[in-house]
Amino acid sequence: MLPKFKPAGDSAIAIIFGNEISEEINKKVHAVAETIEHASPEWLVEVVPTYTSVYVYYDPIRISYSEIAEALKPFLSAGPKKEEKRIVKIPVVYGGTFGPDIEFVAQYNNLTIDEVIEIHSKPLYRVYMLGFLPGFAYLGGMDDRIATPRLEKPRLKVPAGSVGIAGKQTGWYAIESPGGWRLIGRTPLKTFDPHKKPPSIIKAGDYVKFVPISEEEFQEIYKDEWGEER
Amino acid sequence: MIELVNVPSLITVQDLGRSKYQSFGVPVSGVMDEVSARLANYLVGNEDNTPLLEFVLKGPTIKFHSPAVFAVGGDVEVKLNGQPIKAWRSYWTKRGDILEIGILKSGMYGYIAFAGGIACEPILGSCSTYLRANFGKALSSGDKLKLGYAILTGKEGKQLPKEFVPKYEKENIVRVILGPQEEHFTKRGIETFLTSEYTVTSESDRMGYRLEGPKIEHSDKGADIITDAIPLGSIQVPKNGKPIIMLADRQTTGGYAKIAIVTKVDIPKVAQTRPGEKISFKTISVEKAQEALRRQENLMKAIKFFLRGEMRAYKVKTFGEEIIAFTKIEKKK
Repeated sequence: MLPKFKPAGDSAIAIIFGNEISEEINKKVHAVAETIEHASPEWLVEVVPTYTSVYVYYDPIRISYSEIAEALKPFLSAGPKKEEKRIVKIPVVYGGTFGPDIEFVAQYNNLTIDEVIEIHSKPLYRVYMLGFLPGFAYLGGMDDRIATPRLEKPRLKVPAGSVGIAGKQTGWYAIESPGGWRLIGRTPLKTFDPHKKPPSIIKAGDYVKFVPISEEEFQEIYKDEWGEER
Repeated sequence: MIELVNVPSLITVQDLGRSKYQSFGVPVSGVMDEVSARLANYLVGNEDNTPLLEFVLKGPTIKFHSPAVFAVGGDVEVKLNGQPIKAWRSYWTKRGDILEIGILKSGMYGYIAFAGGIACEPILGSCSTYLRANFGKALSSGDKLKLGYAILTGKEGKQLPKEFVPKYEKENIVRVILGPQEEHFTKRGIETFLTSEYTVTSESDRMGYRLEGPKIEHSDKGADIITDAIPLGSIQVPKNGKPIIMLADRQTTGGYAKIAIVTKVDIPKVAQTRPGEKISFKTISVEKAQEALRRQENLMKAIKFFLRGEMRAYKVKTFGEEIIAFTKIEKKK
């Protein structure tokens, strides 16, 4: 479909590229978002790419809605670059105290814990977008065989780095927060750090590979990343 | 330096928010009521985006450890060293002075601005507190804050003319722009939304206000959408049909259909509506909303220059209506 413009209030415009989660649509989204960001017109506040749309936040004092729709048209022809896949490896300790729900995930899906780890660490996951909480990556590509419903009662505190499953989605908590995902492991990486630029080691359009590691490896990397023992 | 002697509510340092990092999932945050906060900053000679203190309902008691100029923004009783003083006016203080701020008589959020602002190390370009990611903190009794550098002379004694003092009402009509997911609602659902009165519930905070009132009917597309961005003032309607208005600390993206988005000029009205008070909605076109914003910003600019002594204000009667006009004061060469 042709991209569609829609006002999203008086200070943002949505460019909508489709209405399904697909890699093709999402690639277009990122290509256009990147081009607008790169051009950085004076009225631009920021660009937020999502699964199927680009939200352009602008300053309505500098440009009106009808003008912005016109100004954005030249950017729409941006095609996905012949992208080299940027693959980010995320080391994970599966199970034990780091992944207290892995047994439930295994039982729920009639699998062994080792099978859960194998299935979860096999795919190359696409980062469709970042959002919800700082550094949180929406990943695509999880195998349905390990899909598990969320906890009925969310935990009040989930440590940063916890890797979990919620329905057909997987991801990790980049910062400590409350949460209802089934936790299967934890990465020692500090994937979100507000004192670094950019603040997240992951950006939309990247690919993620989970790499199983031992608890000893976890402790070592953790010390390097966080500057303290866990 | 100032010291918070008594902290009876959530008090945080805020500026106009943290933009440019939403694509990394970082919420914008910033003051809940931009107009009140900016006016308080103008009174002490600050720029719009200067960090200041925001409090909820109940104001703090503050001890000054050095001379400063401050102003309180809000419908509230204020005392300096036990003597009643005015809100919406700037005052000079000496070391050891005690500022006591009472309970807001109307509205939800109040502001305390200091000439030079609250000194802070910005995180991702902003001093706005965002508690969930430990950007800044909820201030508590005994906390000491450094103030930014400012020339204090000539900044005290400025008063906001009463015509410009924000009024916080118990019943608010808020203008919205429909969409972007209006097709997720039936015609009847949209009509319910636009003709009913909603009450702000106690499940409301800096992230968003949950409203109680007639259920808004979804179309067969349902309440859920593919996760999408959430601009300030987005009105999400989850499956239960009760709207949630997303405010300063909202998450950057979410999966509920947005029936409409509040116009930027009316965000302060929403933010200042207390639990138990009412909001109803009416639609406006994007063009009209942007026009209203431009008018507001022209007025804000004029007030800023007026308080700096660079503009004069006059009362003018036109067509039987009294309005305020501003003229520039020409500087002597």
